Amino acid sequence: MNFEIINPSSTEELLGTIKSLQKEKFRFGAGCTDLLMELKKNPEENLTVINLSQVKDASFTGIKKTTNQFRLGALFTAHKIVINEELKINFPVLHQSALTLASTQIRQVATVGGNLCTASPSGDIACALVALEAQCEILGTTGKTRTVPVTDFFMGPRKTVLKSNEVLYSISVPVNNKLSKNILSGFIKVGTRRSMECSVVSIAYHIQTDEHGNIINAGVAIGASAPTIRFAKEACEFLIGKKLKHISHKEKEKFAEKVLSYAAPITDIRATAWYRKEVLFNISKSIFE
Amino acid sequence: MQQKNYSQKKINRMKKELKVIGKPIPKQDANIRVTGKAIYGHDIVLPGMLYGAILRTEHPSAIIESIDVSEAKKFPGVICVITADDVDVNNIGYKRDHPILKKGEANCTRDEIAAVAAETKEIALQALKLIKVKYKIRKGVYDAFDALKESAPQINKFISGKFENKNIAEKFHYEHGNLEEEKKKSQHIVTRRFTLPRMTHACMATSNITASYNNVDRKLLLYSSTQVPFLYQRDMAHALKMNPSDIRVIQPVIGGGFGSKLDMHPFEPICALLSIKTGKPVQIIYSREEEFIASPIRQPMVIDLTAGVDKHGNFTFREINIVKDNGAYTSWGATTPFVIMQAFSSLYKLKACRFNAMAVYTNNVFAGSFRGYGNPQATFALERVIDLLADELGMDKAEIRLLNANEKGEVTGQGLLYDTCGHKECLETVISKSHYGKKSLANKDSRHKRGIGLASMLHVGGGAKIYRSDGCGTTLKIDPYGYCTIITGSNEIGQGSETVLAMIASEELGIDLKKIKVINTDTDVKPWDVGVHASRTSFVAGNSLLGAIKILKEKLNRKTAELLKTSHPDFEYSENKIISLKSNESIALDKVVREMHFSQPNELAIASYFYEPSSKFQDKDFKGNVSGTYAFASQAITVEVDTYTGNVKVLDVYVAQDVGKVLNPLLLGGQIEGGILQGVGYALTEELLMHEGRILNPNFHNYKMLTASDTPEIHFYPIETNDKEGPYGAKGVGEAPLIPTAAAIANAVCNALDLEFLELPITPEKVLFAIAEKKRTDKMHSL
Ligand SMILES: Cc1cc2nc3c(=O)[nH]c(=O)nc-3n(C[C@H](O)[C@H](O)[C@H](O)COP(=O)(O)OP(=O)(O)OC[C@H]3O[C@@H](n4cnc5c(N)ncnc54)[C@H](O)[C@@H]3O)c2cc1C
Repeated sequence: MNFEIINPSSTEELLGTIKSLQKEKFRFGAGCTDLLMELKKNPEENLTVINLSQVKDASFTGIKKTTNQFRLGALFTAHKIVINEELKINFPVLHQSALTLASTQIRQVATVGGNLCTASPSGDIACALVALEAQCEILGTTGKTRTVPVTDFFMGPRKTVLKSNEVLYSISVPVNNKLSKNILSGFIKVGTRRSMECSVVSIAYHIQTDEHGNIINAGVAIGASAPTIRFAKEACEFLIGKKLKHISHKEKEKFAEKVLSYAAPITDIRATAWYRKEVLFNISKSIFE
Repeated sequence: MQQKNYSQKKINRMKKELKVIGKPIPKQDANIRVTGKAIYGHDIVLPGMLYGAILRTEHPSAIIESIDVSEAKKFPGVICVITADDVDVNNIGYKRDHPILKKGEANCTRDEIAAVAAETKEIALQALKLIKVKYKIRKGVYDAFDALKESAPQINKFISGKFENKNIAEKFHYEHGNLEEEKKKSQHIVTRRFTLPRMTHACMATSNITASYNNVDRKLLLYSSTQVPFLYQRDMAHALKMNPSDIRVIQPVIGGGFGSKLDMHPFEPICALLSIKTGKPVQIIYSREEEFIASPIRQPMVIDLTAGVDKHGNFTFREINIVKDNGAYTSWGATTPFVIMQAFSSLYKLKACRFNAMAVYTNNVFAGSFRGYGNPQATFALERVIDLLADELGMDKAEIRLLNANEKGEVTGQGLLYDTCGHKECLETVISKSHYGKKSLANKDSRHKRGIGLASMLHVGGGAKIYRSDGCGTTLKIDPYGYCTIITGSNEIGQGSETVLAMIASEELGIDLKKIKVINTDTDVKPWDVGVHASRTSFVAGNSLLGAIKILKEKLNRKTAELLKTSHPDFEYSENKIISLKSNESIALDKVVREMHFSQPNELAIASYFYEPSSKFQDKDFKGNVSGTYAFASQAITVEVDTYTGNVKVLDVYVAQDVGKVLNPLLLGGQIEGGILQGVGYALTEELLMHEGRILNPNFHNYKMLTASDTPEIHFYPIETNDKEGPYGAKGVGEAPLIPTAAAIANAVCNALDLEFLELPITPEKVLFAIAEKKRTDKMHSL
């Protein structure tokens, strides 16, 4: 594993670097927890790594709250998500997904941008962000940005909509509905170990109710169950209008079936497709138990 | 009378208050290990050193038609490339059935085809890619039962053909009692087949060796992390056709052994050969992937067990047939039935036993030895069947075990003599502490089911006489400044033996711990010892040290009596002084040593002692008292099974272990906790997955070794039986903590779900599948 490394320290320098490398082979590295593993496995010749971790601009590394949204810079780390009280209160799903990621050591460097750009079907933070219907802000070398919903960000396993002259800039999560007095939000990760584990199946859910307990907004996403993380739209729609506290056994199963319809799991050495489906059904149900 | 004498001795021993032994003294090498100052094999750099790498076969079973190394040899920076054709060596392995470099055919995915020494590791690895090997792929045999079929090809061509089937590598038969009669007396008989997985040691430090051959005086220096340096020296000499004494083995700090370093593996003589060929030091260090692929494993096996019980609950007989997958070559692992048969013949009182085991060649990776040495496999099968027998009888699972528990003074059918025996006390302790059977475990909700399981174990606790000597030598010296050096034959592989030895010397000689050095890494310096295995080091090396101390004290006492002008030989050694118990006069220890050295008759403060345990070689029927003493343990484990995911969470582990005497509670606790976590992994998650001879998960990502966050609550109750053979009454403790864990967990999971599991590991997928199957059959029955 041999590569050149460039360390831009500002957004401006970064854009300059990207521009200058347009004719060459380059990759971004943020926490490098995915990148190094990948390059070790498949070394590339004549590769340059643009090290993002020295970019100090708050727009890349920090968090900002506005009336409509929480904006997380692409370099915001899993650790920072875990310790942010506001995120924990407003978006338990995001907090829990970050908390289940790898281990304390890895969380110090692993970034939310890296988790998205790696586009793994088992990305935990990415799964939570899909459930939250987050928006990705993409920065081009011209300095212009464009925004795509996170569900459209993934093109397939390890593929995103990013073009060669673009970098992921931030992720924004819409604030909870004002009417919302209650949220049912969480992240369930199934695997063998309690840490250092890659999801065998996961489900992220963020359900909001009005002051009467009626569901007014629901986001459910599944991980490690299909080539990309999937937003279970019909399962979400099925919930709208129902009283959260009074979801019947039948409705739970109906919901779980709808979630399952988004799954197209594979059999690999970590689990069979049968297992993944069975568990996905069970944990979908369990959200309301 | 005998009894009374013994307890009198015990009282005497207790009277003398121990100052160091029994105290929670941190491991002596803890500082260097946690600060990164420890020199592991990976840290060694010798002047002019080259880096070695090994080309392994692409196919687990193939004819090797040709090997072309010409391109690799030409590659800049490559100094040497060797294949089987370039070396004059003997086969290695317990049965000498293992060529160091393979020629003509490949029989296992680990097979070493060629090796390169180059200026850098990168060059060595690149050069491997330039070696062209032509293979003719064969259909391999990947199942031991298939290998036993008439139609199977002979897999290993180097065996004598001693057995009726060409693919049997080793066989064991043992029996005691009248099996047929006991069968007749049995009220219930249970038969089950158990299947055990491949588990790997996954040592923190990957395999490594640095070899330095001096082609002027023709001597070979090896920095090796073997657990058995003297046997290794001999094996290396045999492999390389050298004189053992021309080989010096130095052990750097070892980053994990667990039995994996009991055998010498091909990469070690290969590294030596590269050094011999180049006349330069050569180092080989495994990558993590290579470690998973090419280091040993716990033997996978199929155990057929039939066991009976009479109407009162007494165990009547056990009949055992074991087929072990030996892999392509034979290691010490093939001898695990020595230990396995002990568990079956002698754990719980048993009237009759018939035991057959065979190791069968396949084209799979070959097994090695692993902490517990077959005992975790045996204990899993045995303790599972005990639960089933209790169910058949309608008897309480704790009661049936207590009824049959081993006792002090018992001589088992196999001839093991239990001079001390804490089995019953271990059982009683975990039964009461876990409230076994008292309060039924309330399930949290309908989704999470709780269960509790019990298991015991028996293991050698005072070495095991499987080699001509199970002894250990010690040379002990005190210098003119009052510092003590222990030169011991035993070695440290992380288990803490250095610390325990230093504590013994400190206790007996009254010397500060920080003034005690343990020298144990160099075969040119240290006296003979058979090696680290069989939980023997504290017991055997401890006794050896005590013997040396006794001799040295006699010398010191003589000088002290002279200096203090007393004829009374009763001295106490304390705080670096020697004190007359009669007059209370004292003299500094260093002064006594100086007087010994520098005044007439100028004597050194040095003593040597060789300790050989009282154990015996077993006869050809495997009968006899093979160990100096025996260790017992029981565990009660509670689990919670998530019926939605199949995940088993181990909640509490109650462990009672007959350790003889606690020498150091900190180190003991370390052995217990580490062993249990290894046992939990064996029970629930760890398996090296193979398909047609290839390893599918050679990484920590998919080999599910547990982490700190998976550690259950461990409640440990040491049981002190004060063995008269052991140092201060201690017994071996190292392997025991892992042995009953998988069995107890399996029993707990079966208890929680009212289901049977006959296979390890009990993965979430297997649990969920079993639950689904049960639902299906229950539904069918209710229709
Ligand atoms: C031991 C271990 C355990 C792990 N456990 C988990 C786990 O439990 N759950 C989980 O989801 N993941 C896990 N991972 C994967 C990884 O840690 C996460 O995906 C992490 O969020 C990646 O972040 P990073 O900053 O390290 O990404 P990097 O490795 O730096 O980058 C990942 C990819 O994204 C690209 N990239 C990064 N930032 C940007 C950007 N701003 N714009 C464009 N492209 C970018 C890189 O080029 C690269 O292709 C684990 C990894 C390891 C090594």
